[in-house]
Amino acid sequence: MSAKPLLATDRAALILQLVPYLIGKGEVSVAEAADAFEVTPEQMREMVEKLTVIGLPGDGGFWQMANDLFDIDWDLLDEQGIISITNSVGLERTPRLTAREAAALLAGLQLAASLPGVGDSGVVQGLLAKLARGASAAPADVIVAPDAVDDVRVRVAEALRHGVAVSFTYHAPDHEPTTRTVDPVKVHIAGGQWYLQGWCHLREAMRTFHLERVSDVRLTDIPIAHGSDAVPDLFEPSETDAVAEVRYRATIATLLADFLDRATVTGDGEFRDARLRVADERSLKRLAARHGGDVEILAPESARRAAAAWAEAGLAQYR
Amino acid sequence: MAKDPTRSAPEERLVNLVVALMATEQGLTKDTILTSVSGYREQSEAGAKKDALEKMFERDKENLRALGVPIETIGDYADPDDLREARYRVPTAEYELPADIDFTPAELAVLNLAGGVWSESSMSADARGGLRKIRALGNEVDAPIIGYSPRINLREPAFTPLQRAIEQGRVAEFEYLKGGDDTAHTRRIQPLALLEYEGRWHVYGFDLIQDAERTFLLSRIVSDVRPTRETFDLALRDGAGDKALRGLQDVAARQRALVEVAPGTEAALRLHRRAIPADQGIHVPYVDVHIFADELASYGPEVRVVEPAQLRDEVIARLERTLAVHGGAA
Repeated sequence: MSAKPLLATDRAALILQLVPYLIGKGEVSVAEAADAFEVTPEQMREMVEKLTVIGLPGDGGFWQMANDLFDIDWDLLDEQGIISITNSVGLERTPRLTAREAAALLAGLQLAASLPGVGDSGVVQGLLAKLARGASAAPADVIVAPDAVDDVRVRVAEALRHGVAVSFTYHAPDHEPTTRTVDPVKVHIAGGQWYLQGWCHLREAMRTFHLERVSDVRLTDIPIAHGSDAVPDLFEPSETDAVAEVRYRATIATLLADFLDRATVTGDGEFRDARLRVADERSLKRLAARHGGDVEILAPESARRAAAAWAEAGLAQYR
Repeated sequence: MAKDPTRSAPEERLVNLVVALMATEQGLTKDTILTSVSGYREQSEAGAKKDALEKMFERDKENLRALGVPIETIGDYADPDDLREARYRVPTAEYELPADIDFTPAELAVLNLAGGVWSESSMSADARGGLRKIRALGNEVDAPIIGYSPRINLREPAFTPLQRAIEQGRVAEFEYLKGGDDTAHTRRIQPLALLEYEGRWHVYGFDLIQDAERTFLLSRIVSDVRPTRETFDLALRDGAGDKALRGLQDVAARQRALVEVAPGTEAALRLHRRAIPADQGIHVPYVDVHIFADELASYGPEVRVVEPAQLRDEVIARLERTLAVHGGAA
């Protein structure tokens, strides 16, 4: 729930949206309306009270008459916490989307269109046209480049749809490939990468699989048994993970954002130190080499040595 | 609530103004607004300076326009400099979501998914605001699309000011650290479109110093984005997003690296998906030599770059620096 202070213009925008919402609902509880508008119930009550001093201009210097103002059923609000508009003087219809609201939804749609079963349904094309027509000004072009949908993604989507387990070869870096059977629960798409979260029959636990490391996918006829289990956050570390310490150049912090989200960061100079749990310390050498010199593994010592050896072995190919 | 009766909350005045401007067909003059619309009227009556009230009205007008409220000025065309007799109104048809726009239950389910992709970025509040307006139409919605959690990462602070500059058709300046360079240089561009490609955000625009169309990585903008007073023709934006996308796709189709990968490794797994087989090794398309060198360096001994030479040198340089900061050769 957003608790940040709203500017007067933000509050005005909310009131403009509130009237059609309340009219559409007929009667709605303060709690439900607050939830829909992402404000606290106190803020919602305050907005509704403000609404009742808003109305048409007074005519010829006279004060506004009661029916020139918005009004609500005060008894209903005071006794039951329910909002109901009893007099409205305009604003009944939903305002158009702002250029930025339209841009945010249009870009989201482009990503949604890349999902098997969504993009090919014809729904997206119609939506693009409606959003463009429903905007108050031409939105800035915000393009999300489509990503080729490969066989692995299609198969995983089918398994999700049919509620059956999938079986595949999984090849995590620095590990031998294993054959997994997984009850699919959720496909996460982040930064253009696709991940499958599901119940792994081999590990008997929820696991996350990077779909680029998945091959030989086939659908099984085993119905999903753990489909409604809670899934952990995408990169949530576990208590058994090793603790790593990494020094990085402050200017590359955005590039390391996913990694630093889970870290405790100290220092304020050109370099910062981050301390975090990593699922597999062997992956650290890859991180270090990717940022060539801007990331230094401080601990564990084995990972630090591995990073040096990794770079050395890479260089040996060019000698 | 004890408060000065002449001073209502600014949001009340703003909404009162919208209600008044929508209720009029022929428009209201500034004088009428200042003396009759609640929020101004009380201050007029209390003897507030006309200058101050007019300034307040101008500000309110700009703020409401920024919210998408279409305030129309019906001017006194005899004297374009004299706005005293200008009248203002909000045409209902341009304010309201067109009455014939309705959303099917399936469309709303997809929109709900689309509106949720922005995580905690600035676009998230906009997406949710848009969804709220659409939901207020009261259409039925299908069951949510489950099983997918699509997210767009947006962490670059340059995004929001560039988006605003595109909306307003304003030239923007920023310091840009080109890949491989040690010092940043000032860029002055007409920003035309924002584009996420392979998980990275770019701005596409016309570079006024280079006098050519250019695409910049947002992560390499090292200063605040500075909007200027210089504007450009909004028509330049037409089709800019598609042009930017085609531009990057053309680069990827043109630039191919020849690399050799060790079978059964992470490098083989990741690179083979985008590769075209060669006689010896594989050809992999890439857009930016520095970004691709970052990826190839991460594979260490799993991949060897044959050509181009620049890519090979960049990978070698990364590995050498990695070796150096980790204490050199064992």
